Amino acid sequence: MLFALVLLLTIGCIAFILARDGKGVPRPDGLWLLLRPDAPDAGLVRALAARWLATGRAGISTVHALLLVPVVVLSLQLLGPHAWFGREVGGLDVVIFDLTVAAAALVLIFRSRAWAATLAAAGLLVLGAYGWLIAVFWPVPGFAYGFSDLHNSPMPAPLWADALEGSLLLALGLWLAPRVMRHHLAETLSPSDLELAARAQQLTKRVQTLTQTRHDAVDTAAAELRRIERDLHDGAQARLVALGMSLRAAERMFASNPEAALALVAEARETSSRALTDLRDLVRGIYPPVLADRGLADAVRALALDTPLRTELDVDLPGEVEMPVSAAVYFAVAEALANAARHSGARTVRIHLRHAAGTLRAQVTDDGAGGADPAAGTGLAGVERRLATFDGILAVSSPPGGPTIVAIEVPCALSSAKTSSC
Amino acid sequence: MRVVIGEDLFLLREGLVKLLSAHGFDIVAAVATAPELLAALVGEQPDVGIVDVRLPPTHTDDGLRAALQARARVPGLPVLVLSQYVEQLYARELLADQAGGVGYLLKDRVFNDEAFTGAIRTVAAGGTVLDPEVVRRLLGRHSRTEPLTRLTPREHEVLALMAEGRSNAAIAQRLFITEKAVSKHAAGIFAKLDLAPSDDDNRRVLAVLAYLES
Repeated sequence: MLFALVLLLTIGCIAFILARDGKGVPRPDGLWLLLRPDAPDAGLVRALAARWLATGRAGISTVHALLLVPVVVLSLQLLGPHAWFGREVGGLDVVIFDLTVAAAALVLIFRSRAWAATLAAAGLLVLGAYGWLIAVFWPVPGFAYGFSDLHNSPMPAPLWADALEGSLLLALGLWLAPRVMRHHLAETLSPSDLELAARAQQLTKRVQTLTQTRHDAVDTAAAELRRIERDLHDGAQARLVALGMSLRAAERMFASNPEAALALVAEARETSSRALTDLRDLVRGIYPPVLADRGLADAVRALALDTPLRTELDVDLPGEVEMPVSAAVYFAVAEALANAARHSGARTVRIHLRHAAGTLRAQVTDDGAGGADPAAGTGLAGVERRLATFDGILAVSSPPGGPTIVAIEVPCALSSAKTSSC
Repeated sequence: MRVVIGEDLFLLREGLVKLLSAHGFDIVAAVATAPELLAALVGEQPDVGIVDVRLPPTHTDDGLRAALQARARVPGLPVLVLSQYVEQLYARELLADQAGGVGYLLKDRVFNDEAFTGAIRTVAAGGTVLDPEVVRRLLGRHSRTEPLTRLTPREHEVLALMAEGRSNAAIAQRLFITEKAVSKHAAGIFAKLDLAPSDDDNRRVLAVLAYLES
């Protein structure tokens, strides 16, 4: 009776641990749902089970099944026929009983390794728990009474031996049980469940990435707008105010002092020129006109023309990259070139831009002194965040002595090449 | 002098027409789109075409493409290209045929009408005019390399003005030196850059630009 109770409890506990709903809250009917694929919510439970399945090994070998042998031997020792029949039985009966049980165990081991291992795991856990129970509670007065029908002696072997044996069995059981459960889960779950679980895991990761990059993208966009606002405010706007003031002053002076008025008008013209320069620089920083006109390949060629370093170009894009991606890559290459010109002491820089297998790859290699720390400047970090919005990555390799390589990769498709409009 | 204007913004187009009319130019066509511009340039064969880089229909570099196409059909057709920004890439494309009669200026150079009309006349006469901004960037590319590092500051200034397409007289006036001094500097520059000397203004500009673009 007691044996059966402990076994049931163990299975119940395992089922309880396994069975959780989507938010990780335990639900007692989880195991039931595993067996009933059509029930509502079953898909989720199966997916969660499959996820757990993926965390360890599920294979059952003969070695695992053979663990049933010590379990049977120990059980027979512990629970002789008297425990099963409830009375003292003779020597021949015991032999027959032992042989029958041993034969059944052997048949099970060779017919179904999985179920033999399952039984072994359950047995190991129960026997281990039993060993500890005896070790801890045997000296408690009155406890032995409940077990007196199981044990002929009032006091078994030394208690530490029971504890040691219990620990060993528990450890073996705990090692075997998850493997066995995984095996049964693998049998129960269909490939689609496993796929679903893998997919769910991927999706979870993806959502985390998207949350982070969206956050970064919003931040970057806000900072960019702030910069544009400030540039306009301090630059073109201020110059237009000055322009208006000069013109107004000139207007007043026209009659009284035409020469001074003329000088003011000339000044106004200068100011308007500078306002245009400010706006031009601002536009270049927002979306370079050459990129809008010609696309990424020519825009990178234009960048190469503007750098004071000697350039070697390997640019080949048979189509066009969509606008936000090409802008991100353009600014990444621009930043890499600017760093090479500013810090590295390089003479030559090689720019490589190609698209293959759904990935746009850009690489800027200079022959400078190397030793650049990508974490030091904010430029490349900003570029990296911007690229991350498109699942792009930026890697910098700059050993002391050079060369410095800035590599950019963005997964993207190429559209057909832009055609001339006239 | 017969002029064709290609500019899509009404205010700027009218402004150009007024400005050039006031300076005695004969505006034979003022159009707003690239296809119209191409038709006018090829059909009218003006003394000079004044072209905005960005034109409809795509609002990218349609104007520049139209100008290049027109020059492909009518070799040496003088074209002065205007833009809100300058790119060495576009300058290179305009200069590629080595035929002269090319100008490339920022739009705000229009403010200085004397210099602007001067540039139009230079281009119409088959000369080359490049915006100081383009030249600055061209020189920037060579700022760290031999033999440009061997030039004296004065020679640098003269080289920049030569690359802009200015004549010896214009350079002399600009730098407050004599024409003879300019000639001397020019000879020095050509020797240092290992270029064959030339008295022809336009050939000299093209040689300098070819050198800087290499």
